[in-house]
Amino acid sequence: MSDPIVSDEWLRDRAAIVGIGHTPWGTRGEYADKGHLRLVIEAIVAACDDAGISPQDVDGYSSYYTSVEPPDLYTAFGAKRLSYSSQTWGGGGSSMGGAFANAAMAVATGQAEYVVVHKVMTMEGSSRYGQAFGQMGQQAPTLPGPMAFSVPYGLQSPGQMFALAARRHMHRFGTTTEHFAEVTINARNMAHGNPEARFRDLITVDDHHRSRMIADPLRLFDFCMETDYGCALVITSAERARDLRQPPAYIRSAAAMAPYRYGGALMSFYNHPDDDFASSGQRDVAQALFRLAGVGPADLDAAMVYDHFTPMVLMSLEDFGICPKGEGGPYAADGNLGLKGPLPINTHGGNLAEAYAHGMNHVYEAVRQVRGTARLQVPGAENVLVVGGAGPAPSSGMILGATP
Amino acid sequence: MSRSLPGLPGPRLEPTTAGFWLAAGEGRLVVQRCSQCGQHRHPPTEVCYVCNSLDWVWEDQPGTGTVFSYTWTDAPVVPSLEELGPYNISVIELDSTQGVVRLLSRVVDATRSQVQIGLAVPVDFDPVDDQVALPIFRPLVPQAGDPS
Repeated sequence: MSDPIVSDEWLRDRAAIVGIGHTPWGTRGEYADKGHLRLVIEAIVAACDDAGISPQDVDGYSSYYTSVEPPDLYTAFGAKRLSYSSQTWGGGGSSMGGAFANAAMAVATGQAEYVVVHKVMTMEGSSRYGQAFGQMGQQAPTLPGPMAFSVPYGLQSPGQMFALAARRHMHRFGTTTEHFAEVTINARNMAHGNPEARFRDLITVDDHHRSRMIADPLRLFDFCMETDYGCALVITSAERARDLRQPPAYIRSAAAMAPYRYGGALMSFYNHPDDDFASSGQRDVAQALFRLAGVGPADLDAAMVYDHFTPMVLMSLEDFGICPKGEGGPYAADGNLGLKGPLPINTHGGNLAEAYAHGMNHVYEAVRQVRGTARLQVPGAENVLVVGGAGPAPSSGMILGATP
Repeated sequence: MSRSLPGLPGPRLEPTTAGFWLAAGEGRLVVQRCSQCGQHRHPPTEVCYVCNSLDWVWEDQPGTGTVFSYTWTDAPVVPSLEELGPYNISVIELDSTQGVVRLLSRVVDATRSQVQIGLAVPVDFDPVDDQVALPIFRPLVPQAGDPS
């Protein structure tokens, strides 16, 4: 190592997730009266309790696409100082991994001792993502910026934008709506005995196809369900992590990246290369995560793949090299997503069946897998991948490990 | 709002984009072109993504294209669109800038089975007000379907 600061492996395993906490998963609007600050504070208290530290020990905050700001949080808890604060760009849960990358860098470089990654949502009124773009049109006669090239044409929701990617993927690779159904079926199978999951009933391909069409080719069961929640996780250095209450979940790598000319994804940009159009836009970040972690797809024991819309899971599996490009559909239909498959996917039930917490519940499950405490535990899970949401640049991910 | 999709906002005329919408209001489809290297680009920006030149012009296009991808909206987000029934949204690749410029738009007067990837569609214009229109597309052989 001639220059340790810029080597691929420098940050590897130098930070760890040591505490996780969240409110119960609520229905849309259920926690609106509590407000975002209260929900985040409840989650931080739970995460710090899990870690065995006081919220007053937290001197850094890192988030993505979140309204509650670090100055309010560290002041509310009475922490001695705020040493680090950051937020990543992106939309929804796309840049989730970027928040963990920033937190890991902060604690590994000594800028902060304990960094909380927090995320909160009460999806009522204009906060509801499925209506957000549409409501732009209800409030003003004209729309500025990139959305002026999409919303006036009736493209107003994430479901419609991902339908365009799904249709292109079907055209190029023969992917079918039966393949989409397999993603939901797997999510329900995994959530079936999960007391925290919002959707635990098992379904068939026929059940999926009987659900109503919303944004053809996407049906109701291709969509996740909006959830109210407050989430927090505690990140600290590997040295500190070893003295805390829980087995550390080492951050092997975390990153947020986007490919050439990806822009706001299909909400406002349609001129990226065809291979990226029919993709989750995650090939670059996938390569970076594996390189920085020093592991490959074959080394993974489980993967928690952001599943806001079923076809995007198939495309994430392709972009991460878990199956070849274009073969996500047959890969899912062949039973490879389940516990008995080569790489169990979303053992908690994911966005589709457990809760739509914008990637945070995927991270919780990855932490539980490397701790060895998951309800559907993969025996001896050593390397677990978390994939952020396909969506506006940058998208992201993280690889967690059980032993450094 | 446009004539065909009531209740939706129209595009705001901003320095970089106004030329696109005003040309459509005159029945012309224009695309930005770099004055230095000649690269086309869309949606409009202030700098060429190939050579980074800041100089550009609007260039008239013949206005024919093919469907690159599409979706039908069966469950509209806003109540004002519910009475229209399912409507089409398509990504159109322009013939004159093959592989370079795609527009998000709509294919109107087309049935659900008629709209397929590769369908040839010429441009038409959906008025927003007396100055501005949205470029939309209509099959060579229109059929009763999505209203225009």
